[in-house]
Amino acid sequence: MRLNNRKELMELIAGKKLSRRDMLALGGSAALAAGLAGVSSKARAAGKFDGKSVVFASWGGAYQDAQKVCYCDPFAQKTGANVIQDGPMDEAKFRAMVEAGDSVWDVGDITHEFLFNGIKNNLFEKLDLTKINVARVDERYRNDYGIGDIVWSYNIGYSTKTFKDGTHPKSWAEVFDLAKFPGTRTLPGNSPNATLEVAALADGVPVDKLYEILATDEGIDRALKKLSSIKDKLILWDTNSQSQQLFIDGEVTCGMILNGRAYDAAQKGGQIAVDWNQNIQSIDYLVIPRGANNIETALGLIDEMTVAENQAKLANMIAYSPTNKEAFATIDQKIVPWLATSPENAAKGFVIDGAFWEKNLEKISERWEEWKLS
Amino acid sequence: MRIGYAWLIVPACLLLGVFFVWPVFWLLLKSVTSPSLGIANFVVLVERPVYLRVLWNTIVISGSTAILCALIGYPLAYTMANTGPRARRLLIFIILIPFWTSLLVRSFAWMVLLQKQGLVNQSLVSFGIIAEPVALIFNRFGVLTGMVQVLLPFMVFPLYSVMTRIDKSLPSAAATLGAPPVRNFLRVYLPLTLPGLVTGTMLVFISALGYYVTPALLGGPGDTMIAQLIQQQIGNMGNWGLAGALAVVLLVGTCICLAVVQRFVSVRSVMGR
Repeated sequence: MRLNNRKELMELIAGKKLSRRDMLALGGSAALAAGLAGVSSKARAAGKFDGKSVVFASWGGAYQDAQKVCYCDPFAQKTGANVIQDGPMDEAKFRAMVEAGDSVWDVGDITHEFLFNGIKNNLFEKLDLTKINVARVDERYRNDYGIGDIVWSYNIGYSTKTFKDGTHPKSWAEVFDLAKFPGTRTLPGNSPNATLEVAALADGVPVDKLYEILATDEGIDRALKKLSSIKDKLILWDTNSQSQQLFIDGEVTCGMILNGRAYDAAQKGGQIAVDWNQNIQSIDYLVIPRGANNIETALGLIDEMTVAENQAKLANMIAYSPTNKEAFATIDQKIVPWLATSPENAAKGFVIDGAFWEKNLEKISERWEEWKLS
Repeated sequence: MRIGYAWLIVPACLLLGVFFVWPVFWLLLKSVTSPSLGIANFVVLVERPVYLRVLWNTIVISGSTAILCALIGYPLAYTMANTGPRARRLLIFIILIPFWTSLLVRSFAWMVLLQKQGLVNQSLVSFGIIAEPVALIFNRFGVLTGMVQVLLPFMVFPLYSVMTRIDKSLPSAAATLGAPPVRNFLRVYLPLTLPGLVTGTMLVFISALGYYVTPALLGGPGDTMIAQLIQQQIGNMGNWGLAGALAVVLLVGTCICLAVVQRFVSVRSVMGR
């Protein structure tokens, strides 16, 4: 069983993020609105992809269920295409299929890190941008090979039981301050990305110099040394479910958690909140495997996934942040504060440097594993 | 076996060949062909300290698990072999329960039980046995607890099968001839159960070498095992070559263990009857 795959795992363990009933409750009105929109547009563009199929591979669980309802079903209705759901996404499998020259998938939902790795290894079709209305996607969240459909973020999470009334750590420096903010903290352990960034930030590296400094051995040493200063009070989480569990059970008082995971834990009654300061955003991209069988239909499906109403509906269902900012017009105000791309939250953070990690992941992973063993 | 029946194993051979031997061979081949022909991947394993350390970690954790399973499993198997049928059925049932539960669920259950706010710590504190919750998880103790629970049946059943076949008159005869209980056990009973003990230890140790979920979820930073690194190389970095090299090391290590054990005990004497 492959388990480092964060998303695959989190869906696997936690099952559905929200039950279908929750989804209906949250997305009911939006679903109705989108349903009506679907009917009217069906009359307009029916038959564009009649008889065509497209295989969509994503991460399973509540996320892919929501993608099916919000993206794939409206696309099928409008164009007559048959969208086949597959998955879970597995980057090793993706690569093996493309290298064997026989990709079963036509559209894949992949991580930011894999986008850069895949571009280097020539795993994707270059997107025909005349077929996708790219202008509606924020330019930070797209690329010649991939279009972002959701954004998520690594946040400062804290226990509202321990830290009441705004007394919580508000920067990574404060998360690393054991004297001022007592208790055990948690950071992701399966991969150094994001963790190394926050350690460097905590040590006083400014955001605009962050990747320049981490590209050097001295920079990595500096970040690891900062991590050593809290090692005795640090639990590394390996899966997102574990990060939730640690907060819900009061095992840790603060640390790093993904925004969607904190939202989910809070919905389930966990005493947890996030601070958006210095959040690190990451993106899920839609790509077409090189040599895919149904490229035209795939481009159509990707285009459908950038539609504001569709992205809003998905955000209302599972609180993943849209890449099309028009989507905020119809997102529930109760959910907006949890979203990484809301103007207020996005301004407090930055997008993880996928190109940096593609180049340095191997080297830094070795250092990271060594640090863990030391 | 008569040659005439050899065709009966053709389906099994085909299945194993296509779905096991070939993919494994393919991955192992990658270790010397990807990204380029040569032994570069193995040089990396030797040169960078992290890989050898993790390998050592893997051996130590697997060895500790095997020893703990033997210490816990031996008396358990003895009880099973020498108790009434009803108690025996109950024991078998209890030992088999872990087999029917997902590894992930079990690991999460251990998290809930062993953490600072967990049942075990809270009980110990409320009974006044300890003043402060102690760290039972996210360290070696947590890893071993989880692994011993999962792997115990592999120790108990070979032992049990050997113990039920021991002629009960042999220990009695030794006692009649004046052997005190400890000596009786060491000179008569233990040697008779040795094939089961060695097989169980081998099964547990070899299964443990490839463990991945349990150390990831229950261990601390220092408890990384080799399977985690293999997954990381493939899943996070798409680096089949280095993953293949790590797999070669794991496979060769396992084969060496098997060969060593084979020298001491015939697997057939336990499994083959």
